[in-house]
Amino acid sequence: MSNNLIDFQKMSKKRIHIMYSFLVIFVAIIIIQLFLLQIINYNTYKNAALKSQLKQYQIPAERGLIYIEGGNGSQVPIVLDQKLYTLYADPSFIKSNAAANKIAKKIAPIFNANPGQLTSLMETKNTRYIVLGNKLSQAQSQKILSYQIPGIGTQGQDYRVYPEGQLAAQVLGFVNQNGVGEYGIEQAMNKQLAGTPGQVKAVTDASGVPLAANSKNVEIAPKNGDSLVLTLNLGMQSQLEKILAKEYTATKSQGLSAIVMNPYNGHIKAMANFPTFNPANYQDVSNQKIFQNAAVDDDIEPGSTMKIMTTAAALNLGVIKPNTSFYDPAQWTIDGFTIHDIKIDGGAREQNIQSILALSLNTGATWMLMQMGGGQIDRQGINNWYEYMVNHYRLGQVTGIEQGYEAPGFVPPPNMADPSIDLRYANTSFGQGVQLTALQMAAADSSILNGGTYYKPTLIAKTIYPNGQTKVNPPKVLERNVVKPVVGQEMVPLMEGVVKAYLYGGFSFMNFPSNYIVGGKTGTAQLAQPGGGYYKNIFNGTYAGFVGGKNVQYVVVVYNIKPAVPGYAGSYGAQPVFADIVHMLINQGYVTPR
Amino acid sequence: MTYSSSLALNRNRYMTKNKNSVSFNVSRPKIGPISNTILLVVLGCLLGLLYLTQVTKTDTYGYQLNSLQVQQQQLETQKQNLEVSSAQLQALNTVQSSKVSKVMTAVTPSAVVPN
Repeated sequence: MSNNLIDFQKMSKKRIHIMYSFLVIFVAIIIIQLFLLQIINYNTYKNAALKSQLKQYQIPAERGLIYIEGGNGSQVPIVLDQKLYTLYADPSFIKSNAAANKIAKKIAPIFNANPGQLTSLMETKNTRYIVLGNKLSQAQSQKILSYQIPGIGTQGQDYRVYPEGQLAAQVLGFVNQNGVGEYGIEQAMNKQLAGTPGQVKAVTDASGVPLAANSKNVEIAPKNGDSLVLTLNLGMQSQLEKILAKEYTATKSQGLSAIVMNPYNGHIKAMANFPTFNPANYQDVSNQKIFQNAAVDDDIEPGSTMKIMTTAAALNLGVIKPNTSFYDPAQWTIDGFTIHDIKIDGGAREQNIQSILALSLNTGATWMLMQMGGGQIDRQGINNWYEYMVNHYRLGQVTGIEQGYEAPGFVPPPNMADPSIDLRYANTSFGQGVQLTALQMAAADSSILNGGTYYKPTLIAKTIYPNGQTKVNPPKVLERNVVKPVVGQEMVPLMEGVVKAYLYGGFSFMNFPSNYIVGGKTGTAQLAQPGGGYYKNIFNGTYAGFVGGKNVQYVVVVYNIKPAVPGYAGSYGAQPVFADIVHMLINQGYVTPR
Repeated sequence: MTYSSSLALNRNRYMTKNKNSVSFNVSRPKIGPISNTILLVVLGCLLGLLYLTQVTKTDTYGYQLNSLQVQQQQLETQKQNLEVSSAQLQALNTVQSSKVSKVMTAVTPSAVVPN
């Protein structure tokens, strides 16, 4: 073998060894690098990768819907959800006036917009987001998007929709732009209606689309909100609102509220106030007080409608009978002040329980309070009356109805440091110095007329869960033995007597068919002045009554705030509203005749 | 040295006395270190390709699923819109302002009897 050949072989081997060594080193470097990347710095890179790939999305829960009773057991939706679209433009994509004009002419007819306005909006400087239109339908949105105009887009958002317009607006409330219920049932039941949003944590691609098959993905499904079926009756509610709108003008009222309640289960069948608003356009309302359900949120001194409770308490204590007579001196002097009747009905003379109610004798109510004690206004009488107001009729505390901002009212505590406590309590017997909402009055009078059971007033008849299951809301008893059943029976003819007295007194609208029972009581309340005392010429009118056939079927309460009527606010401001409501209930067949 | 002589030299290495030279010519194929490495790399690439195919396959399912979810949402929105339209058509105001109700006449209830 020649030396050359041996050298060549050696050289080849050497070259191969060198190349092999390079290769080994190269592979070793890669392995080391991989080791560093995947073992040593594993967590760092994993976290960095996840940070850019793993995205978290909230899946909004669908808000529950609201239905009301439509008659014959049907349910009518009055609050629905609908996805509507906001049309926006990014002006940086629209380069010239001509381009903006061209786009405006193309899209304006789709949602009945003014092309000129759209053009000027699209020419807005120093912004990349300008809203061109709100609440576009899905079809409108899709049509605009189909043009694929650079810089024009739509964004979907769920809105509450009200097919019945402003029906029961203050009972419903509304949902604000953050998806939170405000006022009414939307506020009180917000948690239950809203449900719980779900969550998606997913590894996504560069454009943010979740990649389904990844062990890092976490998906928690949203829990949709419950839907509610209200106790309100569609026809009754609608008619009630029409009556209030008419009487608001007729009585030149500053605010009118009314409630129709079933006294045997606490169900509110109709509840309305005037003025009202359209919840679909709540943002256009400047006076926020209109959002409040005044029948629940506004407590006022009710005036003589309180005498229903005073009479029932005295009857229940056994200190009077329905036919008890007494000598009415026509005025009482208590703590240096004189209580006299707002109506002068012949001065001092023999009176009875029926005439106390029919003539609305403040001296008569004061006399009943005296009978609750030792024949005069004393500690025993005050304590007894306080016990009835607070622990029997549940005044001075919220009823717990499913409404936002419910007012508790006010009952003066008997031990309050007031040198005129006797006078104060004498006033409460005829509805001054004590504050009640229309709802508190309806619930308390219901507890008397149904024979002594105080049901929690409620607006919810049923709950419909997202899985379709339904739960009926059972009546909730808050107080038993408010009065004895016989007292409820005794109060019916006494209150009927008041209606008849007005009819015979010339109030022809208080004429009701003889196969129905209708009873009630007017109230004309003076308004307290901020500095003490009462205004001389401003009054609130109230009315509490019932209608039924064989038995009492509905309790109706009306509050008319500062009506400008030629007479007592109760008789001329609230009583006509009560009459209209009762006529409506009878004529529409809501009351079963005897 | 020519190419044929080098081959001859190569053969000579295996030649010994009294042995059939033909049998020496049968040489087993050998894989050198470079080929070995290349083969390993190719194999690694193939495995990587297989892995990528599987991963992208599951991701494709993800896109399909996403597309179906979008479709489902669109259908739900359509259902919602139809429910709203239905409720609006049956609303009291719509019914009251309908042609049918406009030609209706109010009836005084016969049940109202004056006292």
